[in-house]
Amino acid sequence: MRVLVRVAVAGVAVAAPWIVAAIAPGQQRYIVHVLIFTALFAALALSYDLIVGHVGALSLAHPAFFGVGAYTAAIASTRGGWPFLADVAGAVALAGLVAALAGIPLFRLTEHAFAVGTLGFALVAWIVATNWVDVTRGPLCITGIPKPVTTLPAWYWLALTALGLVLLLYRGMTTFRLGRAMHAVRDNEPLAAAAGIDPLRYRMLAFVVGGALAGGVGALYAHYLSVFCPEEMTVALTVNMLVIVFLGGVGTLRGVLVGAVLFTALPEILRLAPTWRLVIYGLLLLVIVIRSPEGLSGLVRGRAR
Amino acid sequence: MLADVLEQLVHGLTLGSMYAMVAAGLALMLGVARLINFAHGEFFMLGAYAFWYGYRELGLPYPLAGVLAVALMVVWGVVYQRTVIRAILPRSWHVQLIATLATSIVLTNLAIIVFGTQPKEVPTALSSTILDVGGFRLVWQRLLVLAGALAIFWGLHRFVSRTRAGRAMRAMSQNREACAVVGVDVQHVAMITFALSAALAAAAATLVSPLFNIFPDMGTGLTLKAFAAVVTGGFGYVNGAIAASFLIGITEALAGSYLSYAYKDAFAFIIMIGVLLWRPQGLFGRRLGI
Amino acid sequence: MRLVLTLILVVLAALPPLTSAQAPPIKVGFASAMSGPAAITGEGVRWGGTLAVEEINAKGGVAGRKIEAYFADNKATPGEAVSAVRKLADVDKVDVIIGQTHSGACLGAMPVVKEIGVPMVIESCSHADIRKLSGKGGNEWTFRVALDDEIMAHTFARHMAAKGVKTSSILAMNNDFGRGAAAAYDAAFKKANIKLASTEFFDPGQPDYRPVLTRLKRAGAETILGIILASDGAPFMRQFRELGLTQKVYSRGSLASAEFLHQVKDNPKVGDGVVEAGYWVAGLDPEWDRKWEERHKVPPRIHGSLAAITFKHAVVPALEIAIKKGKVDRAGIRAALTEVDVKDSPLGPIKFDANHQAWINMILLEMQDGKIRILEKLPTSPALLN
Repeated sequence: MRVLVRVAVAGVAVAAPWIVAAIAPGQQRYIVHVLIFTALFAALALSYDLIVGHVGALSLAHPAFFGVGAYTAAIASTRGGWPFLADVAGAVALAGLVAALAGIPLFRLTEHAFAVGTLGFALVAWIVATNWVDVTRGPLCITGIPKPVTTLPAWYWLALTALGLVLLLYRGMTTFRLGRAMHAVRDNEPLAAAAGIDPLRYRMLAFVVGGALAGGVGALYAHYLSVFCPEEMTVALTVNMLVIVFLGGVGTLRGVLVGAVLFTALPEILRLAPTWRLVIYGLLLLVIVIRSPEGLSGLVRGRAR
Repeated sequence: MLADVLEQLVHGLTLGSMYAMVAAGLALMLGVARLINFAHGEFFMLGAYAFWYGYRELGLPYPLAGVLAVALMVVWGVVYQRTVIRAILPRSWHVQLIATLATSIVLTNLAIIVFGTQPKEVPTALSSTILDVGGFRLVWQRLLVLAGALAIFWGLHRFVSRTRAGRAMRAMSQNREACAVVGVDVQHVAMITFALSAALAAAAATLVSPLFNIFPDMGTGLTLKAFAAVVTGGFGYVNGAIAASFLIGITEALAGSYLSYAYKDAFAFIIMIGVLLWRPQGLFGRRLGI
Repeated sequence: MRLVLTLILVVLAALPPLTSAQAPPIKVGFASAMSGPAAITGEGVRWGGTLAVEEINAKGGVAGRKIEAYFADNKATPGEAVSAVRKLADVDKVDVIIGQTHSGACLGAMPVVKEIGVPMVIESCSHADIRKLSGKGGNEWTFRVALDDEIMAHTFARHMAAKGVKTSSILAMNNDFGRGAAAAYDAAFKKANIKLASTEFFDPGQPDYRPVLTRLKRAGAETILGIILASDGAPFMRQFRELGLTQKVYSRGSLASAEFLHQVKDNPKVGDGVVEAGYWVAGLDPEWDRKWEERHKVPPRIHGSLAAITFKHAVVPALEIAIKKGKVDRAGIRAALTEVDVKDSPLGPIKFDANHQAWINMILLEMQDGKIRILEKLPTSPALLN
């Protein structure tokens, strides 16, 4: 039965462009565009949830990895003439490397300092992206990033494939022994350490894989828009990730996917003035974070303050 | 050359004073209530608008407008504690961080809606009068910021060490459970801490806004730098946060002037990251209490 | 709980848009940064667009057809600009778009308006690539009214040189406008034999200019070229005076503006002597300024006023042409735009060349004693690019 539901959902997801064309032909392109963003943000949120939801490290550094990946793909394709798959692979690799290098000093810090430290890292990354004009062109942005596919449905299936890959990896890492080890580190670190599970190793694993995947999503994003600017890797992206992950249900696959759909679909439904929209987001996040019984308390199950 | 350096030093002290007043409030909340308040920059922003309201809209004289701002923010601090904080205090710090971040978003955007995006200016007599000492020029307001900050820190020190409320705060920052056992009203002390933090932010805004201008986004960058100061000084240790703030202010002024102005805002975080790499517990170690 | 909240929001949001029951209105979309740190520009565009559309509708619309205005938020980023364009085009079904104010957003939007086939008239993106990519540059659907600094830099630099300027330092906003302008003036100064002593960038919104003012003093140039808007210009000039600097200040942006004077109304002399090059200033259309101030209680803002002028003096004439030809759809409006030939808009002549660039007038302004006067109005042309 559950398998049937999953197959049905997957089927609907794949067939979405046709379904949309049938139901709302006049708005098809707009809706498919929203779906593309949804898929990309879902993939990004899953990569973030690996770190926040499954090893319990509240990292605020994700925009930096997203940006590193995007810029790598942008520069490699526009200046180096690299083909699409190669520059995405490069983006994933470089973002993962940066995550590894950053993680080493950052994970020496206690939780609170870790959060602030990752925030500082993300800020410095943004400042560098804005000012290292020779490489990133700063606020003048990198333009003319080539598109591997041109039609919107094709882009949707590309984004969906990427989401599928991230989903499989996420599933693989968060179940079986690896998943249990990560959760042990999250829920009760001293006990995990006593049982021979090295917390640092699992945290770094989640951090590096999460960061690498974020870089891959960044690369796709840059190719989709064919332009990338430093404004796309600010703290606002972290806020979006937090909203998606906590709105939906941190640490659960379904929760994150639901969060991504809600988060990207909502603003397009909301026709209120943009500033009110942000007020509503904030209130929503506040209320849900306080009241939600699962998700967050699941995250902190057994964790001493 | 020396005059130049001296000038940057004085400027760095002004900046440092502003950061210190904001960071002290943040450190207080962290030390006493173990609370991460990502909306703290918005306390400063609201304090600035409260001051603007009293000074420009009501036409009150400068000191009175300042008192009004502080009073309004004390009320705000209490309201904030009774609503948001009470709900998140028993929760994990992840929840606290996200809830206060959400509050920050709500407040910033409400400020845009209520006050509009046009920046507001609040020049005072002191911010328009220039003191010229042999070619070294600065407006009197900068000296007021420095003097005001020192007076406030002295007052804070007296409050924390001499008054009953202050002693309760110190006790709570050292051992919360024991406090509850001996009958200290933990919620009451938390409320006072919040009122005090908000008052500090309002005082900082009153002193500093005449030099700069007031706009809804002004708190965001300040929150981050205040956090950098708090973390650098040693989590929850108020004097550490103050010292780190001055370090950051002076570095920004000197490095911004001699090294790179474009990267000026990165220095606070570079310092923080540097200190954390060397001493993960912050400059002043794992001190117990505020 | 989450479900309930979502449902409430959906209900709240599903307010039906206003409809009118006459001859089909023509739909115009305005896109700008309505939220985020640059929200002040989007607010201006929204105000300007609303006021301008009301003005036209009060006169009976365009050839009897009413105009409906739609607004979208591009958050000054390319990603959101794509969403904004698609929302305006596919959901609101606008016939023409005015926007995007910020170059990153313009660059993101351009391929999309071409793909969809909806004309976009740009009121103020300053990236030079926009001109190069439009019209015969490849994108037939984008048009630009505003000038960029590649066009203006040589003229302004020559003006400075003619006044005897030999050295200058640049202080520019650290965004697309500032970086683009700084690069253009770097080249222009070289040609005008003005030595560029230093270039500094600052983040818009940051209020502390003391360290950079000291750097500028140390660089020793006799003039400063500020690429800066009014909201940053006010604290900058106050601190400039505080430090007792004596360089002559030239500017690009909106430093010499009614908005600036409003910010420093306690001491307007703070802005004395500033000479600015631009293409819009309050005073080009006093009737418009009056209406704006009456409605919003603040002086008119540059991006909002540019959006309004773009609408009234580029889009409306195009609509008139299209209506006469009986082809009032997106393609018809696009074609009509290429035929627009307005001689006397507040900005000067509006006629799009082969790159869909309008060659409006450049103006030189001087701010003194709390007033701004126009020193010179200079016609522009492609010849200036050399």
